[in-house]
Amino acid sequence: MILRLTLALLCAAALAAQHSDTALKNPFQSPDDRVRGDTFFRSQCASCHGIDGKGGAGGPNLSTGNFRHASNDEGLFRVITKGVAGTSMPGFSMNGREIWQIVSFIRALSASRAVNVTGDAKAGREVFDANRCTNCHWLNGAGAPRGLDLSAIGHRLTPAEMMTALIDPSAEVAPEYWIWKATTKAGETLRGQRLNEDTFSLQILDNAGRLRSVAKADLREQSLEQRSPMPSFRDKLNGQQLNNLVAFLASLEGATK
Amino acid sequence: MKSAIFLLTAALSAQDANWTTYHGSYASTHHSSLTQITPANAKNLELKWTFQAQSLEKFEVTPLVVDGVMYITEAPNTVIALDPATGREFWIYEHKNPEVTYPCCGKINRGLAIHENTLFMGTLDGKLLAIDAITGQLRWEKVVVDFKEGYALTHAPLIIKDKVLMGTAGGELGIRGFLAAFDVKTGKEIWKFKTIPEPGEPGHETWKNDAWKHGGGPIWLTGSYDPVLNLTYWGVGNAGPDWNAKVRPGDNLYTSSVIALDADTGKLKWHFQFTPHDEWDWDAVQTPVLVDREWRGRPRKLLLWANRNGFFYLVDRATGEFLQGTPFVKLDWATGLDDKGRPMRVPGKIPTPQGTVIYPGVQGGTNWFAPSYSPKTDLFYLNVWDDYSSIYFAWDQEYEKGKWYAGGGIKAAVQSVRRDRLARRDPKTGYGAVRALNPSTGAKVWEYKMTDVSEGGIVTTAGNVLFSGNREGHFFALDATNGKLLWNLYLGGQTAASPMTYLVNGKQRVTIAVGHTLYTFGLRE
Repeated sequence: MILRLTLALLCAAALAAQHSDTALKNPFQSPDDRVRGDTFFRSQCASCHGIDGKGGAGGPNLSTGNFRHASNDEGLFRVITKGVAGTSMPGFSMNGREIWQIVSFIRALSASRAVNVTGDAKAGREVFDANRCTNCHWLNGAGAPRGLDLSAIGHRLTPAEMMTALIDPSAEVAPEYWIWKATTKAGETLRGQRLNEDTFSLQILDNAGRLRSVAKADLREQSLEQRSPMPSFRDKLNGQQLNNLVAFLASLEGATK
Repeated sequence: MKSAIFLLTAALSAQDANWTTYHGSYASTHHSSLTQITPANAKNLELKWTFQAQSLEKFEVTPLVVDGVMYITEAPNTVIALDPATGREFWIYEHKNPEVTYPCCGKINRGLAIHENTLFMGTLDGKLLAIDAITGQLRWEKVVVDFKEGYALTHAPLIIKDKVLMGTAGGELGIRGFLAAFDVKTGKEIWKFKTIPEPGEPGHETWKNDAWKHGGGPIWLTGSYDPVLNLTYWGVGNAGPDWNAKVRPGDNLYTSSVIALDADTGKLKWHFQFTPHDEWDWDAVQTPVLVDREWRGRPRKLLLWANRNGFFYLVDRATGEFLQGTPFVKLDWATGLDDKGRPMRVPGKIPTPQGTVIYPGVQGGTNWFAPSYSPKTDLFYLNVWDDYSSIYFAWDQEYEKGKWYAGGGIKAAVQSVRRDRLARRDPKTGYGAVRALNPSTGAKVWEYKMTDVSEGGIVTTAGNVLFSGNREGHFFALDATNGKLLWNLYLGGQTAASPMTYLVNGKQRVTIAVGHTLYTFGLRE
């Protein structure tokens, strides 16, 4: 009974805290709690969010540390208990401890992945700047929007994945970064990044940095190249420089975390 | 109020002017005899009015229009009476659900039934409500089921004679589904058909252990009715747990089946199981389309059924005899159907701990959104998801009351419901199309191909116009004879509802729920 009362109070405190200025902290963050959270996640969440939390047909990727409907642990608690209107995400009728344990597990999915980093982050920053990475990438409010936002890349990719992205950038590229090319019926050649598409049109960011909407009826041909526009740094940087750059990227944990 | 009643009475019009059931008719053809809108004038369609829902939940309703009043539901369980000419509200009835309810896939409701001056709605907290259609006041409410065990009532009820029929969702929460009939005046239960037979009942032999106790078999889409045969037809959903099927050996009747019940008694006349031992979550929760038509030289009472499993079926609806089944999308889990309609399965095409790629994906070749049959063109129309697959996973899971009980998961490039606002997936991962099939052969006659898939239903008219909406945000009219695009308007939100059409003040209107708005269109005057 005491346990039930405690859990009820925790739930009540969590909900009441939505109206306070200070977000409620997760009281169940031990390794055991994360293991329990993994168990609950597997049975209640994985059908939609994937057993690795990286998303599925029904639910988004929860492993990036950025959540569309929550900015902190309390927000995650609220989403799990109340669901998200207009989506398939239902509210779950689990007790407060179980939900906090799921929150712990979700947080662990996006914990800093900077393990076994051998490079020097400060030196890596110099490599980053010298190679003008922000000509294409966005970093903490500056740069160019063409490439992946690197502001919290330390949560999204492991150091090994970063290294692969640097030396073999086309190994795995999400469709939104594929190279789009087209020729209009008037003979104009278009090239850029596909931002959005429907039956009648495409919205693109062209290589000149302009947002353009293109009617498919005006195109003679179009294609998508399943490769990254990012060059490989395999032959441009030596091993130490690459390790340093990875160390710098791994240190980027974002301001919203 | 007196003047409102007078207006309602004065506006009485022909049956064809109305849309009196969720599917528009007992035969559920989603076909209207209205002819004002034609391929020649569809370019003159324009917006007449909108209704803005306050709810941010998915807007899946198909309205009713009866004698000058439109009735809709807004998620989760609000009923609204509108002027179908202007969209102005007459009254609003709001049912208060508890904080926690148990719908699998959004706090949604698909619509209402009406009998004389009483409206009926199922609720997420397991109740059937009877609401006065003139005043918007509650007449009675009946607890149909304990919702805390994972049940939710989401489909529009069906009225047959003096009964209102209601089934229950919950196939992902370890329920045992049923369809029940209640007295329209009192709410008293008249009969109940359990979709998972208990020990001693016919069909229980298809469950080899205690798995039947949480075997699923939900009903979450309105059925059809043949008054001559006095049979009512309902699609039954998936077995539970969805993907870890090794814990429920056997065919698992009556999951993923159509059941034909005596409308007076609820007794099973026949059943046909589309997907025995369903391991993919392919609910047979599609619209049962009833068509009287010749097939192979003989007049037949047909049931046309495009199933989530990717096959288009013809069934004799008097006897349940399987007549024909043909794939209508890419599928790789079966090589075909045998002479009884049983799938000839491909070994290994089952969910696994490592994941297995299977066509079609979890949402199927089509799903709950309405197809249509037009007697004018003799074509069957549906929205298909083609070249579409999912990776199906299975893992062990114990049942716990009121909790998710799916025994696996899904990954797919195509989202089950629109989540991302921008669409830029690999085009090779699937596409949507409105497709017209020859009912005799299942062969494709034409298609209107779209970049993205659609959860929009279809309505066709005797004017030979087909209306549908899609996930991209478009609402459009096609020439029902050849699929040519006649008119299109970008509305922005996704369609996850089926359109309907009606007459008001002698003018044809077409209504569709898109995003969080109900739109009504008519010809420019």
